[in-house]
Amino acid sequence: MMAQPPHASTSREIYPHEEDSNEWSSRFSWLKWDLTPSEWDILLVSTCIKLLLFPAYRSTDFEVHRNWLAITHSLPLSQWYYDTTSEWTLDYPPFFAYFEKLLSVPAALIDPQIVKLENLNYDTWSVIAYQRTTVILTELVLGAVLVKFIRGAAEPSTQRIISASLFLHPGFLIVDHIHFQYNGFMFGILLWSILMARDGKKLASGVLFAVLLNFKHIYMYLAPAYFVYLLRSFCMSPQGEALPIRFLSLANAVIAIFILSLGPFILMGQLPQLASRLFPFKRGLNHAYWAPNAWALVTAADRVLLRYVRRAGFDIPVNSSGVASTSRGLVGDTVFAVIPNIKPSYTFIITMAFQAIFLVKLWRTPTYKSFLTSLTLCGYVSFMFGWHVHEKAVLLVLVPLSLLAAENHAYFRTFLLASCAGVFSLFPLLFTPAETFVKIVYSAIWAFFVFNPLNRKVYWFPTSLPLVILDFLEKLYLLGFPLLQLFVTIFPLLTHSSFVTRSEPPPCTIPFVCPEPKPIKSLGDLEFLPLMLTSVYCAVGLVWAFLRLSIIYLKEQY
Amino acid sequence: MGMRWIRWMHRHGMKQWVVPGAIIASIWVRWAVGMGSYSGYNTPPMYGDYEAQRHWMELTIHLPIRQWYTYDLQYWGLDYPPLTAYVSWLCGFVGSRINPTWFALDSSRGIETPDSAIFMRSTVVALDALIYIPALLMFTRTWQATHSKRTQNFVLLTLLLQPALLLVDFGHFQYNSVMLGFTLLAMNFFAKGQDVLGAIFFVLSLGFKQMALYYAPAIGSYLVGKCIYLGFLSGGRLFIRLGLVTSLTFILLFLPFLPPFAPFPAIFDPITRIFPFNRGLFEDKVANFWCASNVAFKWKHWASPDILVKLSAGLTAIGFLPSVVGLIQGSWKTRLAATHKDAAPPVTPTLPLLPFALLTSSMSFFLFSFQVHEKTILVPLLPITLILSGSSPESSAFAWCVLANNVGVFSMWPLLKRDGLAVPYIATLALWNRLIGYNPRRLQKKSFVQLFSIAVYVACMTLHILELLIAPPSRYPDIFPVLNVLISTPVFVLVWLWSIKCGVETGWALGGLPGSSHAVKANPSDSTTMNHEWKGSGGDQVDGLRRDMSVRAVSLGFSQARRRGSYRPASAGPEVR
Repeated sequence: MMAQPPHASTSREIYPHEEDSNEWSSRFSWLKWDLTPSEWDILLVSTCIKLLLFPAYRSTDFEVHRNWLAITHSLPLSQWYYDTTSEWTLDYPPFFAYFEKLLSVPAALIDPQIVKLENLNYDTWSVIAYQRTTVILTELVLGAVLVKFIRGAAEPSTQRIISASLFLHPGFLIVDHIHFQYNGFMFGILLWSILMARDGKKLASGVLFAVLLNFKHIYMYLAPAYFVYLLRSFCMSPQGEALPIRFLSLANAVIAIFILSLGPFILMGQLPQLASRLFPFKRGLNHAYWAPNAWALVTAADRVLLRYVRRAGFDIPVNSSGVASTSRGLVGDTVFAVIPNIKPSYTFIITMAFQAIFLVKLWRTPTYKSFLTSLTLCGYVSFMFGWHVHEKAVLLVLVPLSLLAAENHAYFRTFLLASCAGVFSLFPLLFTPAETFVKIVYSAIWAFFVFNPLNRKVYWFPTSLPLVILDFLEKLYLLGFPLLQLFVTIFPLLTHSSFVTRSEPPPCTIPFVCPEPKPIKSLGDLEFLPLMLTSVYCAVGLVWAFLRLSIIYLKEQY
Repeated sequence: MGMRWIRWMHRHGMKQWVVPGAIIASIWVRWAVGMGSYSGYNTPPMYGDYEAQRHWMELTIHLPIRQWYTYDLQYWGLDYPPLTAYVSWLCGFVGSRINPTWFALDSSRGIETPDSAIFMRSTVVALDALIYIPALLMFTRTWQATHSKRTQNFVLLTLLLQPALLLVDFGHFQYNSVMLGFTLLAMNFFAKGQDVLGAIFFVLSLGFKQMALYYAPAIGSYLVGKCIYLGFLSGGRLFIRLGLVTSLTFILLFLPFLPPFAPFPAIFDPITRIFPFNRGLFEDKVANFWCASNVAFKWKHWASPDILVKLSAGLTAIGFLPSVVGLIQGSWKTRLAATHKDAAPPVTPTLPLLPFALLTSSMSFFLFSFQVHEKTILVPLLPITLILSGSSPESSAFAWCVLANNVGVFSMWPLLKRDGLAVPYIATLALWNRLIGYNPRRLQKKSFVQLFSIAVYVACMTLHILELLIAPPSRYPDIFPVLNVLISTPVFVLVWLWSIKCGVETGWALGGLPGSSHAVKANPSDSTTMNHEWKGSGGDQVDGLRRDMSVRAVSLGFSQARRRGSYRPASAGPEVR
C-alpha cells in the first residue's frame, strides 16, 4: 500500500535507514490506526453494545472456557489433554490451548480464583468481566481484517457495508458475546487468510489457514477448498505445470505450523489421546436441537411419515425404538422409524461427493472469487450433510457468504435467505426471556441496515415468469419468520410449559465436545414443537439457499 | 456520529426510517442496560429502589386506597404522589394476572426471580415508550420546528440516549421518565399555545413525582407571564381557566383522599409522606451546596433543623428568583397593546426563556433545597439536555450542557457503583458522547468553558483511577464520594449561574422581538440598537408564527454561536464563557 517514491533506488544508496523504516512501516502497516471516523463509530458502538451485554445469559461454554483457563494455568503441558476434573475437558487443538494459557496469565493476576482447577462453576463478577473482555479484545482481529478488506476492495463503499455487517453480525453477538465462544477471533483469522488469498499472497493464506486449523478443527470443513485452490493456483502455473519449489515451501510452512502446535504432544506420545479428545465419534446424526440442515428435513419427514403410516395402517416395518426417539425430539441419537437409518459413512460419502463437484469447478477456474464461492460451498455442504452438526456451525456458511453478498442480485438473494434462516436458527441458543428481546430486536435492526442498502446496490427486476414466481415465494418465505417467531413466543405461554424449559440447563452445545444430553423426564409430546418448527423452517431456507448457490457457482463463467 | 448516521440513512434512501430506527435502537439500549443488576439487588432485608417500586405495586393491588399511605411505613412505605400509586396499581394488576406470586401481599417481599425482574423492567420500558419517547418526538417537532428534519432527528437521537436517565431508570430502576415526560409534554403544549392542556400535563407530572416541583416556579411564572402578556381581559380569562383546571386536576388526583370518599384528615396521610421534612438536610452524599459545604462547615452542629429548613427554603427561593423575574418582566415588556389582542399570536414571546428558567429553577432546588437525592440531578438535566439538543457544537451552550450532563452522571457514580452498574456507566457515557460528537479538545479554543471542562474531566478520571487503585483510608471511609461531591458541585453551581446569564440575555433579546413591533413601540425605553439589528435581519418579512419559532430556536442555543458577533456586544454584562 506504500507508494514507492520515484527516487527509491537513489535514496536507498544515500539514506539506507529511510528505506529500512519504509519497509518496516509497510510490513507493520497492520499496526497502523488509520480508521475513518465512521469506522471508529462502528467500533465504539459495537463495543458499547457488548459491554452492556456483560451480565447477559451465559451458556455452559462459559464454564468450559474458564475450566480451560484453569487447566492450562495450573497443570503441566503433559496433563492438559488428560485432565478430567471437570466434565468440560479440553478438546480444542493445541493452539487454542496455548491461547488459553496466554489468557490465564492476566486472569491469575486479576483473580487467582479463576484459574483454580477445583473451582468449578466459578462465576463471580471478576471472571465474567474478564472472560467477556477477552472475547471483545480478541475480536479486534476480526475488526482489523475487515478494515483491511475495505482498503483494497474494488468497490470500497459496498465492502464497507459488508465489513460492518460482519463486525456487527448477530451471529457473533449471540454466539460469542451472549452464549460465549471465541468465534469472532477465529473467523478473524479465517478472513485474514481469505484476504491474503485476495491480495495474491497465497503462501500466507495457506499458513494462516493451517494456524486456524490448530485453533479449532471445525474449519477442516473448509480444508478441501484450500487444498485444491493452493495446489492449483500456487503450486502450479496457470498452464498447468507443477512448481515444486512453491509446493515444498507451502508444505514446509504448513508442516512447521503443525509441528509447532502438535510437536510437544508428539514428543510425549500423546497424539492418540489428543485425537480421541478432538474427534469423539460417538454421536448421533442430529444434535440435540436439530441443526437446520438436510437431516433436519429428513428427520421431520420421518415423523410425518410415521403419523401417516399409523393412520393409514400400512404394513410397513416400523422401527419401534425410532418411534420413541423421534417423538421426544430433544435426544442426541436420532433413530428413524420409517426411513432407513443413516450411518456416519453415508453422510461422509454424500459430503465428499458434493464437495467434489465444486472442487472440480474450482480446479478449472482457480480465481479468487471462484475460491471464495467454493470455500463457502464446502462449508455449506458439510453443514448440510455432516454428521452431528451444530447449529452454530452455520456461521461457517454465513461469514464467507457475506463477502459475496454484493456480487450481483442472485448472490445477494442467496445471502439474504441464508442469513435470515441462519441467524434465526441461532435464536434457540438463547431461551431466557430477557435475551429473547435482545436477540430479536438486534437481528432485526441488523438485517434492516444491511439488506436495505445492499439490495439497492444490486437490485434487479425478475425478467421471466418462473423468476417472478420464485421471487414471490422467497419473499413469502421471509415473511414467515415474524409469524414463526410469534408462534415460538406464544406457544409456551399457551401450553403453560414455559417454566419447565426455562429451568432446564441448556442442551449441550459445544461442537464435538459435550456428552450426550441426558433424556429429560416427563415432557409433553409438544414440548419441542417450537424448536422443531424453527429447525425445519430454517432448514427449508438454508437448503434452498444451498441449491441456489450451487447452481449459481456451477453456471458462473470465470 | 449521530449526524453521520443520519446522513448515511439519507444517502441510502432510508430517510423515512431514521425516526423508527432511532426509537427502536434506543429501546434496545434501554433493555440492554436493564440486563444488569438494579438498586438493592440481592441485599436483604431492605433491598433498594427496585423493591420499593415493586412493593408499591404489591400494596396498591391488595389494600384499599385509604391504607396506601399508612401501611407498614417502615418497609418502603409509599412516599410519592397518587399518580405513582395508580400507575403502580396498573402495573401490579397486569403483573399479578401473569403470575400472582410476584405481587402477593407481604410474602412477595424481596422477590427477585428472573421472570418478575423482567416484568418490572418491561414496565419501565413500556411507560417510557408510551410517555417519554412520544414527548421527545413532539418536542423535536414543535420546539425545533424551524430546523431541518435532519437536525430534528439528530436532536431526537441526542435526547433518546441521554446517559443519566438511561442509567437511573433502566439500570438503577425508577420511573423518572414518566415525570419528565409529562413535564416535557407540558412544555410542548405551551409551545403550541395550548396552555390549559400544558398545565394539566404539568399537574400530572407533579402528581407522579413531587420532584416536578423543582420546575414549578418557572412554569408558574411562565403561565402568569402569559396572562400578563395577553392583557387584562383575555389574560384574566386565561388565568381563571388555568386556575380552575389546575385545581380540578389536583382534586381529581387526590379524590380518594378527599371528604366525600374519606374523612378530611385522610388527606394528610399522602401529604406528610410526600414532603418528609422530618428527615435530614441531605441524604447520603449529594453534589449540592449543603453537602459540599458540610465538609468545611458542619451545619447540623450550628443550627437546628427548623432553621435549616427555613434557610434552605430561603436560599432556594433566591436561587430561582431570577427565572421568575425574567419571565414576568419579559411578559410585561412585550405585553400586547389593548388594540392588538384579537390578533394575538398563539405563542408568547417569553417562551424562549422557558428552558433557561426551568434550568435555573430546578438547579437552584437541587443545589439549595432540603432532602435532595443524587438522582434528582435528572430534573435539571432535562432542560440542560433540551438546550443542548439544538445547539451547534461550537457554541458555549453545547459545551456547558454536555459538561453538565457528563458530570451529572459522574455525580451519581457512588450510587451506580453500589448498584453494580459500572460497566453500563462507561458504555452509555461513551456511546452518548460519541453520538453527539463531543470532544472537549475541539471546543472553542482556550475559552473558559473548554479549560474548565478539561480540568473537570481530568479530576474525574483521576478520582476514578485512584478509587480503582487505592482502598479508602480507614479514617475517611467516605473520601471518594466526598471528593466526587467536591468536583461535581462547582460544575453545577456554574451551570446554574450560566443559566441565569443566558436567561438574562434572552430576556434582553425579547425587547426587540420582531413578532410584536407594536410592543416595541410601546416600550421605547428598550435598547434600540438591538431592535435595529433584528429588523435589519429581515425579520419583518416573515409571518408571525415563523418569527416566534425562530426566537424559540434561539433559546435552545442554536444561534448562540451565530449571533455572538453582532448581538453580544449590545447585550449588557460581561461574557462568561
